[in-house]
Amino acid sequence: MSLIRRHWLSVVAILVSFVVFVIPFIFIVLTAMKDKRQSALLDFSWPEKFQLWENIVDVITTRNWQLLTAFINSTILTVASVTLLVVFAAMVGFVLQRRRTRWNGLINFLILAGLMIPPAIVPTIWLLQAMGLFAKLHGLILIEVAYHLPFSILLYRAFIATIPKDLDEAAIIDGARPLDVFFRIIMPLLWPVTVTNIVVQSVTIFNDFTNPLYYLPGRGNETVQLTLYNFQSQFNTSYHLLFTNILLITIPPLIVFLFFNRQIVAGVTAGAVKG
Amino acid sequence: MTAKFTRTARVAVGIMAFTALSGSALAEDVFMTMLVSNNPSNVATAEAAVAAYMKANPNVTIEIETRPGGGEGDNIVKTRLATGVMNDVFQYNGGSLFQAINPQQNLLPLTDEPFMADIQESFKSVVTAGGEVFGIPNGPAMGGGILYNIPIYEELGLEVPKSWDEFMANNEKIKAAGKDAVIQTYGDTWTSQLFVLGDYFNVSAAEPDFAERYTAGEAKFADSPAAAKGFERLQEVFEGDYMNEDFGAAKFPEGVRKIAQGEGAHYPMLTFAIGAIKDTYPEHVDDVGFFAQPGDSTDSNGLTVWMPDATYIPKSTSNPEEAKKFVAFLASVEACKIRNEAVGATGPYLVKGCFPPSDVPPVVSDMLPYFEEEGRNGPALEFLSPVKGPALEQITVEVGSGIRNAADAAALYDQDVRKQAMQLGLPGWK
Repeated sequence: MSLIRRHWLSVVAILVSFVVFVIPFIFIVLTAMKDKRQSALLDFSWPEKFQLWENIVDVITTRNWQLLTAFINSTILTVASVTLLVVFAAMVGFVLQRRRTRWNGLINFLILAGLMIPPAIVPTIWLLQAMGLFAKLHGLILIEVAYHLPFSILLYRAFIATIPKDLDEAAIIDGARPLDVFFRIIMPLLWPVTVTNIVVQSVTIFNDFTNPLYYLPGRGNETVQLTLYNFQSQFNTSYHLLFTNILLITIPPLIVFLFFNRQIVAGVTAGAVKG
Repeated sequence: MTAKFTRTARVAVGIMAFTALSGSALAEDVFMTMLVSNNPSNVATAEAAVAAYMKANPNVTIEIETRPGGGEGDNIVKTRLATGVMNDVFQYNGGSLFQAINPQQNLLPLTDEPFMADIQESFKSVVTAGGEVFGIPNGPAMGGGILYNIPIYEELGLEVPKSWDEFMANNEKIKAAGKDAVIQTYGDTWTSQLFVLGDYFNVSAAEPDFAERYTAGEAKFADSPAAAKGFERLQEVFEGDYMNEDFGAAKFPEGVRKIAQGEGAHYPMLTFAIGAIKDTYPEHVDDVGFFAQPGDSTDSNGLTVWMPDATYIPKSTSNPEEAKKFVAFLASVEACKIRNEAVGATGPYLVKGCFPPSDVPPVVSDMLPYFEEEGRNGPALEFLSPVKGPALEQITVEVGSGIRNAADAAALYDQDVRKQAMQLGLPGWK
């Protein structure tokens, strides 16, 4: 009796997370195994005919091995954008938090404006064209950095507020130059919030659909999310291939999570205690 | 002085020779891109046509890029045209959507090209703006009407209806036999419009000048008894309780499954659905037939026709001559044959000399008689008038679900249309 009273909440939590996370994933896996006909029913059933391997081969070889190109593009895009984001956001957050000037108000306003005002597509494309960055991967990397920078800066600034200023002062007295203070003293202390940043932003950027769709046109420029449109159209959708594709592009982030699981959890909780 | 001059001259000559060389090299090796919508049969056709063209012209390389359909596709096409990065050749809708991409400013006119002589006038009219023709048909015409399940018709001994009363009588018998008489799939709202849009042949039979007066703002759905019938028919089908139980949630793929496997007897739809049936339920292709939406009398039975997407060349292309040559190929009889081989025929072609193969599925062969006789087919309203309200599909879902009555819906649609007409700046609307 007391066992039930003590544990019922955990059981409910496990059940809820099972329904919310595991069942949809099982549905994806099952549908990815089916043939076209059974998958068109879109029901939760056991595949009559297993053809997961055929589906995988189909998906990868579609449109001249497009998925492989897409994986390379998406990896470059995610790694490069997140690296730049982390470095720049930490720098901005540090300076903004430590140095009080009369510009702070304006800078804060600009950061919030970046969060609140939706960017317009056509003028952005004109700007990119003028700079010769349109339909180039590094152009899109800059776009992703620009769109996601404000949120990262807010995370960093809040965290830096918890690091005592005495640390910087001690380092300066010991003869550290400004860049040393930042990269050798502050940056390592920011690890918890950096992990949060990396996780949140790489998931967003890896899953980004609309920005690559508009800013990175052209064959050979696809990112993984755009390959979904190979199997889904307005009037005719191949659900078995669509779900196989979803499965394939869900796996890399999943592996990353399994690998870094401990660090991510440690990072997030450390941030929570300090913050 | 002279020495310096000769050196400059030499450099200049060198540069000129270099550019001349690279210029001729460019003329020999042509690289173009083509933007197609991502419908599987459409991609297959485009790939087959491009492969054949590149084989015949080894110096030309064409890459195919796909884009989504629907609203996302509209955005991509408009964004690319506005920023001047549109592919050398691209596909997009004709009719009212074509008018919305500002053809005179963005597209290359093809009016005087020799291949235009072989394109049917009815198609040219939907890709014409300001007296210039801009596109060629991408595939065959489609019919809007009712798909029916042949085994159910045979089992119950039914005849293909020629009038609305016969259609409703059939529905009653099918319902009495315990089957779903009419399949509706409001999970995809666009599928709900067919009873209204597919009725346009009957509207034009009763009021031949409806489209003109409608564009001018004189004719209204609510005032015209013939035009309001489309909404009334939808209401009658709901009131007769002929629809499948899950009509509110079912989607287009489920409608295709139901009609192919005989879970329902009628599915109001465009004939392109045969492509989806062929893809997913190949053994049921011969079980699905087609008839035009019947009108009031058996005497004036005819088909409402939808035009296919068109293929256009944007003004921004760097290779207009080569792009035109490729488009000429796409408009040739050879391209139809390639299409027949790649995906089969889904309807009658709009290029002279192009015919579907003899072994077409029943949906297509049922459609051909409407094209053989004069006056048994006519284009849908959206190809005759630029005015089409954006909320029609929501309104028809309401009528089809019994939430709103037909008269009310017709009046509401007239208001919806008014906004669109005023945006287009048509005279006579205020």
